[in-house]
Amino acid sequence: MAKAEYTVLGTSIPRMGGAERVTGAGIFGIDLVLPNALHGGILRSQHAHARIVSIDTSEAKALPGVHAVVTAADAPDVKYGRSTMDRYILAKGKVRYMGDPVAAVAAESHAIVKQALKKIKVVYEPLPVVVDPEETMKPSAPTLHEDVPLPENLPKDAQVKNVFSYTRVHIGDPDKAMAEADLVVEETYETKMIHPQYLEPRIAAARLEEDGRLTVWVNAQAPFPIRTEVAKTLGLPLNNVRVLVTDIGGGFGGKGSGITSGAAIEPICGLLAIKAKRPVMIVLDKAEETISTTIRSGTKMWIQSGVKKDGTLVARKARVIYDAGGYSGFGAMAGARATRMLGGWYLTPNVHCDGYVVYTNKQVCGPVRGPGGPQAAFAVESHMDSIANKLGMDPVEFRLKNVPKPGNKIVGVPKLRDVSLGETIRTAAEKIGWGKVKLKKNQGIGLATGSWIEGAGPGGGAIVKVNEDGSATVLIGKVDYGTAAPFGIPMIVAEELGIPTADVTVMKVDTDAAPWDAGTVGSRSMLVSGNAVRLASIDARDQLLRMASGRLEARPEDLEIKDKQIRVKGTPAKAISLASVATAAHTEIGEVIGRGFFDSKASQAEESERGSSQPFTTHAALVEVDPDTGNIKVLKYVAVHDVGFVIHPKAVEGQIEGAVAMSLGQALCEEVVFDDQGKTLNPTFVDYLMPTINMLPRIESVIVEGYPGAGPYGTKGAGEIGSVPPLATIANAIYNATGVRIRKLPLSPENVLRALKEAGR
Amino acid sequence: MSLEITLTVNRKTHTAALEPSMSLMDFLRDTLGYKGVKVCCNTGECGACTILFNGKPVNSCVVLGADAAGANIVTVEGLAEGDRLHPVQQAFIDTGAVQCGYCTPGFIISVKALLDRSKHPTPEEIEEAVSGNICRCTGYVKIADAIEIAAQRLEGRS
Repeated sequence: MAKAEYTVLGTSIPRMGGAERVTGAGIFGIDLVLPNALHGGILRSQHAHARIVSIDTSEAKALPGVHAVVTAADAPDVKYGRSTMDRYILAKGKVRYMGDPVAAVAAESHAIVKQALKKIKVVYEPLPVVVDPEETMKPSAPTLHEDVPLPENLPKDAQVKNVFSYTRVHIGDPDKAMAEADLVVEETYETKMIHPQYLEPRIAAARLEEDGRLTVWVNAQAPFPIRTEVAKTLGLPLNNVRVLVTDIGGGFGGKGSGITSGAAIEPICGLLAIKAKRPVMIVLDKAEETISTTIRSGTKMWIQSGVKKDGTLVARKARVIYDAGGYSGFGAMAGARATRMLGGWYLTPNVHCDGYVVYTNKQVCGPVRGPGGPQAAFAVESHMDSIANKLGMDPVEFRLKNVPKPGNKIVGVPKLRDVSLGETIRTAAEKIGWGKVKLKKNQGIGLATGSWIEGAGPGGGAIVKVNEDGSATVLIGKVDYGTAAPFGIPMIVAEELGIPTADVTVMKVDTDAAPWDAGTVGSRSMLVSGNAVRLASIDARDQLLRMASGRLEARPEDLEIKDKQIRVKGTPAKAISLASVATAAHTEIGEVIGRGFFDSKASQAEESERGSSQPFTTHAALVEVDPDTGNIKVLKYVAVHDVGFVIHPKAVEGQIEGAVAMSLGQALCEEVVFDDQGKTLNPTFVDYLMPTINMLPRIESVIVEGYPGAGPYGTKGAGEIGSVPPLATIANAIYNATGVRIRKLPLSPENVLRALKEAGR
Repeated sequence: MSLEITLTVNRKTHTAALEPSMSLMDFLRDTLGYKGVKVCCNTGECGACTILFNGKPVNSCVVLGADAAGANIVTVEGLAEGDRLHPVQQAFIDTGAVQCGYCTPGFIISVKALLDRSKHPTPEEIEEAVSGNICRCTGYVKIADAIEIAAQRLEGRS
């Protein structure tokens, strides 16, 4: 259906919950006030790698005002993890990064908590520390996890250690193709660890109820995985754990991976509440958050390509070492994604990629906005420019030459349906003035592309209840942190039920009531909940039309709902109010409850059968390099995206602009800095630099439509793909300005100046 | 040791006791209940806790509560008139500048302070006024739009 035929979809309605947020009335996690609650705090390891010899909590327990002190000995002997079960909620036997939780305290005040934490005596036996992901793979490196075996699928000749996940991509005959290529280009790239630095500190609050159930409040993106993991690590049945989600002040995947994200703050808080028999709330301060919670991994990448003289890509080989930190976290999934993306999204008939995901004594990898994507795209898209340069070809022309066509296969997609990549390249080139713009001294333009191949994942459900006044109450498992839940989701219900969006309420997630959901992650809110909500709304509408059918003496298929009236199509005078039918439901069917489910498996099967339409993007930038300071000023930035059908234009633009800004931070300044003993040197906002408004140009988002995806009405995920191209976009623009290729992030004044000096500029 | 101070918050007079080491942010949030003052960095870097202190925007996390004795404070809770939002608040909603909404109160206060002192702010003035506020969601585009529209509406230009 064309956009013009929709009433609500395609417009930019005000955000649901906007008024609460602009008046300060909204209750974020940090604003919770639980009657009679104790303050909780966590003792964190001061060693990046050490054996725990003993823990003495007696002095802490004796302190007046302390109600509970817990260590691993107080919790069930159960490990957790997203892929490898390699971690306890409180360290047992060993600590593996500075920030690893060791013990926790609940007390009457924050001051007493701090005192009590100081009185816990932990005797450590320090072990050798490894922070470099290449060093950790060497046979001489210390062993981080004695009981985690090497992956079974490792190449037989691989002499490695501290690897817990390995991904191999192999297409065609890359050795032969590389040998026959006219030109082979080979490079290495490196990215650093960054922290998502959502603004709201992470909290957890827990209360043991009179009936023995545990209620846990979180400001996190994945309430159901948190419920599962809290139940498992505390030895409770799932029906005795209830997770309630507050308003959430940012997440970006940093709050998205179950209890892994917050280093088990939720079960630790639950354990304290159970032991203290009082409600407990833990709030992390920002420095504690930086050193202890999940991050975007640093990577070391090697990439090689073979091309023909005419610019045809014939082979790609690549390797990534993906630094997951002290525990597996989200590393296996993010590392696998990076490995596949190193194969690129251009037509490349022969590919071989190896991905090693390794342990080091650092913070743990989480699914931060496009996990693995920006890192891989930094290598791939810088490399594409390097190849074009060696070929003496225009980088735009070189990319366009290798754009895949419908029916082609690319890494991760067996068959493409339509391909917007070329259109995004041409549009971005035009908008930045490629080949036309008059560059001043020290200025350059650069461009990079990206994709975010939609992966497999669980489906999810939705319930749409039509109340007796015709308004709708919606239950989904996705949370509101400013993505689909408060923008596009109510619009779908309004569209399908013929009611105003103001009459739709999307409930905050309560795991006792909402349908199960894997988490508000992976650019999947619209795909999963959008599809489910659409089906649930249609189910509710069908129930209403069946009931109205007798009253209007017309078949249900001849009825429609418009402006809160059920009427006969073509005879609008023949109508009854939606409210009267919804009320009549009480005596006929009980209640109008629409149910919908997004069947992920069926959708995947359908997409591989008919070919899938993936999102593509191209970004372009104009930068100015200060040769004296190395400072990069981004003067213009254009982000061209195909995200399929657009339900809420401003929300989609907001996702793109926000993703660009976050990645420009990684490109230009962001980095979690370590010393060789694994100590974070810049944990606070004073030293961890992030983009402010005066550092960024006005990011121009341009949306190309006409390539419908697998989401409702043809949407595609839009939350992460914008973070993919910026790193290479800026690096390519710097190369264009200076002739110097910088292969290591960040492109900070210091690093740029050093690179310019090394190149004799 | 604790001391007692009297101050005005959103045109209401409060007298309350506080520890000398307590920040103004904690005093406003935890003692007086103004939770619209948001907690984030605690180092005066992010602007989430911005309030008007005798008409000037300040990061309340790096001001001692005791220093607010006799002061006139405005928090984001004090801008709307009943159900009618302040034009800056309305502009943030209308332009899509509110994603997660956590930085929003601090931004709104900084923008109000700007528009109180400058009716036609230049792009440079706008940048300067909110350069101490960090937003991780929006990339600042929609926030810049909101400031522009709020300025126009306050001037009766639209």
